[in-house]
Amino acid sequence: MNVLEMHNIHKSFGSLEVLKGIDLEVKKGEVVAVIGPSGGGKSTLLRCATTLEYIDKGEIKIAGEKLVSTSQSGLTQYTDKKNIQEIRGKFGLVFQNFNLFPHFSVRRNITESLIHVHKKSKEEANAICDALLKKLDMSEKADSYPCNLSGGQQQRVSIARALALNPEILFFDEPTSALDPELTAGVLKVIRELAEEKMTMVIVTHEMAFARDVADKLVFMDGGVIVEQGSDIISNPQHERTKEFLAGYG
Amino acid sequence: MAELTSTLNQLASGLRFTLGIFFLTLLFSIPLGLLVARGRMSKNKIVAGLVRVYISVMRGTPLMLQLLLVYFGPYYIFGVKLADLDVGPFKYRFVATIIGFSLNYAAYFAEIFRGGIQSMPVGQYEAAQILGFSKAQTFFRIILPQVIKRVLPSVTNEVITLVKDTSLAQVLAVTEMFTMAKNLASSQVSVMPFIVAGVFYYVMNGVIEIIMNRAEKSMRYYS
Repeated sequence: MNVLEMHNIHKSFGSLEVLKGIDLEVKKGEVVAVIGPSGGGKSTLLRCATTLEYIDKGEIKIAGEKLVSTSQSGLTQYTDKKNIQEIRGKFGLVFQNFNLFPHFSVRRNITESLIHVHKKSKEEANAICDALLKKLDMSEKADSYPCNLSGGQQQRVSIARALALNPEILFFDEPTSALDPELTAGVLKVIRELAEEKMTMVIVTHEMAFARDVADKLVFMDGGVIVEQGSDIISNPQHERTKEFLAGYG
Repeated sequence: MAELTSTLNQLASGLRFTLGIFFLTLLFSIPLGLLVARGRMSKNKIVAGLVRVYISVMRGTPLMLQLLLVYFGPYYIFGVKLADLDVGPFKYRFVATIIGFSLNYAAYFAEIFRGGIQSMPVGQYEAAQILGFSKAQTFFRIILPQVIKRVLPSVTNEVITLVKDTSLAQVLAVTEMFTMAKNLASSQVSVMPFIVAGVFYYVMNGVIEIIMNRAEKSMRYYS
């Protein structure tokens, strides 16, 4: 079963066409890594999948629910607000710069949505939070504030915040780009563990070795199109552009 | 000595009006300022444009003139008798003072709030959206608390100015502290009432500084 289906996605900012007809499918339990040069459309693709940007043309289905489609007459229409809100409950997104809520403690960052959006009791929400913090080795930081955590710890909290809502698919937008190499390792370890648990994930990343190890499918994007995809395009690229890009990583 | 006691007593009776103007203006102008700030940022160009003109006029003309307009406007423009406009125990001259001050301060607060709201990183909105928060939840739970921390020093400035501006109510013959001091000074032929009134204003602002500093400190736990 496909948790994410994106067909013929087009997106322009003004006169700049950033996505030129992208097709991407992600099966349940699959880990997809999206690689490619900056400005190639990776992040925009992720932002379109997570409703942070609205597409101009194409079709997106998340967990079987249609988010948007383009009719034969060329009219692109999103589902109604209530459905969009419901679909948002089915995925999580981990940002490059965390975007934790600085005025909330770690615990409140994780439980706020559970309590006030998903109407769970405080006890229930706290139990979910405690379990996640334990799993991510952050239990002793429950009452800390984001500004007192290292970047790596902040990113783990933001992963916990996304996982708390029990998403069917988790998106990562360059989750380690704001971290130094030492802190990167801790975050990548968490993502690896999630992959082992068969969490469905789409990860935009510049960590080639990590992408190769953890991903079931690799997608190379450049110039607004998917140039090449497959399970071993890093070790065995077919396309000239892919080879050229990977050469930059030695 | 007897004169000083009587001065203090009379200034204290004027202080009631000064405090009344101060607290009522804050009570009305802060929420109104928030609303005006939202209007100023509205995607509706007509709303945004009108609010912009409102702010521009309020900031660009003297508060004293605005007070006079609110007070005399109903009669000269609409022919409404002022005595008919008393609200409960409050004379219209006092009500007009509160209206004038609130409209004026709302414009200043609105610009402070707008600056604070627009300084918020877009990532906070995006994270809130992904987590399913409604627009109202996002604003009141995520954005506003952080905005308050950011704008507090500027708000303190306005609040301190307001304490001193209450003396402008004298143009509507509201017997607030400054009016009292002026009357006493001329009847006693002495500057003592002015000095005492000055101390009153200064002490009030001292208290405000202490309170606002505490408020700032209480939000220092995060950055």
